[in-house]
Amino acid sequence: MDSGNGSEDGTPWGRGDGQGDDDDNNRDWGLKDIPNDVEVLKRVWRNEKSAPEILAYESLLVERVQEQIANMEENILAAAESLDDMMLSIFEMDVNRLMFLLRAYLRVRLSKIDKFALHVMRTADLWDRLSPQEQEYASKFVDVLSKHMHDSVLGKLEKEYESMMKQAASSEENDMIVEPNLDTYVFCRSKTALGTFQLDDKGDETVDMMPNDLYILRYRPVRNLIETDRIELV
Amino acid sequence: MFGRTAAQLVREVNNDDQHIRRFNYDLFDKVIAEIQEHFQQVTTIMEKGQEENEDGQITSVDENYNGAVIHHQSILRNKRCLLAYMYHRANRLQRLRWQLGAVLPEDVKGLLHPSEKEFVKSYSEALSSYMTKLDIDLTVDITPPKDPYIQVRVLDNIGEVLLGDQSTSLVRNSIHFVKRSEAETLISQGLLEEFTG
Repeated sequence: MDSGNGSEDGTPWGRGDGQGDDDDNNRDWGLKDIPNDVEVLKRVWRNEKSAPEILAYESLLVERVQEQIANMEENILAAAESLDDMMLSIFEMDVNRLMFLLRAYLRVRLSKIDKFALHVMRTADLWDRLSPQEQEYASKFVDVLSKHMHDSVLGKLEKEYESMMKQAASSEENDMIVEPNLDTYVFCRSKTALGTFQLDDKGDETVDMMPNDLYILRYRPVRNLIETDRIELV
Repeated sequence: MFGRTAAQLVREVNNDDQHIRRFNYDLFDKVIAEIQEHFQQVTTIMEKGQEENEDGQITSVDENYNGAVIHHQSILRNKRCLLAYMYHRANRLQRLRWQLGAVLPEDVKGLLHPSEKEFVKSYSEALSSYMTKLDIDLTVDITPPKDPYIQVRVLDNIGEVLLGDQSTSLVRNSIHFVKRSEAETLISQGLLEEFTG
């Protein structure tokens, strides 16, 4: 269990590496190659973009990235006089790149929360994947949306039809809640050979996962692999 | 009746353009009235059915009940169309919040149903509170950045504005070289435009 050591590689700011922390929110990104946080964030963002449902929140990564951005900006200000314009703009571009990635990651998650808010609130695993701020946002959003629907439409209907989650009080289950389609197809790739992998319960379809090959599969069977990080979505 | 008027409502929102049209109070109220009518029908049919049941135990499906099913389904259809109409408009409003910022232009506000105005306010609040908690503004930087600085031309006289650490006076038609993130908010408000060429 190493403690992360930021490697100073001669640039004005240290690049944090993603290795080391062993909490459940952060995983061992591979001891052989030590990607820096930018690569990790890029990968996490790509996964989140392609997955139909919301994935686990990388809270430690986000914290480190925010720290890194703050450090980089400080260093830029401190070094502003001693560097020429071109170097300065390169460093600024780097900060912008990192900020963009972070914002894009958070935006993708917000858009999924907006679409599937009711479903996320009612499913314990999905709820646990949200950060505390996202959870607060999600509950507020659900309240705002239900109030809007009630005031405009549902309040004017009879008791039987006034629920936002069920079509009619006589429906058996909450059939109006939107759920993400877990059977949609995604592109994925794995770094290591995963062997023969079963694609559905009956054992009819299997897929041999070779390293660095691109596959198009339904999302549902590869869900677990994404959680344990043996596959990445493209 | 039977969902036809509601279908018209849905057709109204089923277009690709970005603007929000005026809220169609007429069609909307008409659909609500139709729902009441359908519900009346359902209750009458069910009551009639009940009476006959008390006389002799009717075990076979009475023809009149089918009418109740049709009315019930029409109500569900109408409900779905109404909710879809409101939901699509709400989505467009959300998008406007991301593009234009916390204050909606007056002309858009005039097109909205009062409940939509509430929605816009509360949604904007929820979003801003989330962003302040994280201390990141998520509405800028929508496209991947190519250059840290861009050239902008001022469209309106704004006067002194704090850009970066210097305050510059923005006179109409003057060109400035500013940082992207600062220019973006002003661009989305329509006060600056990107200068190419």
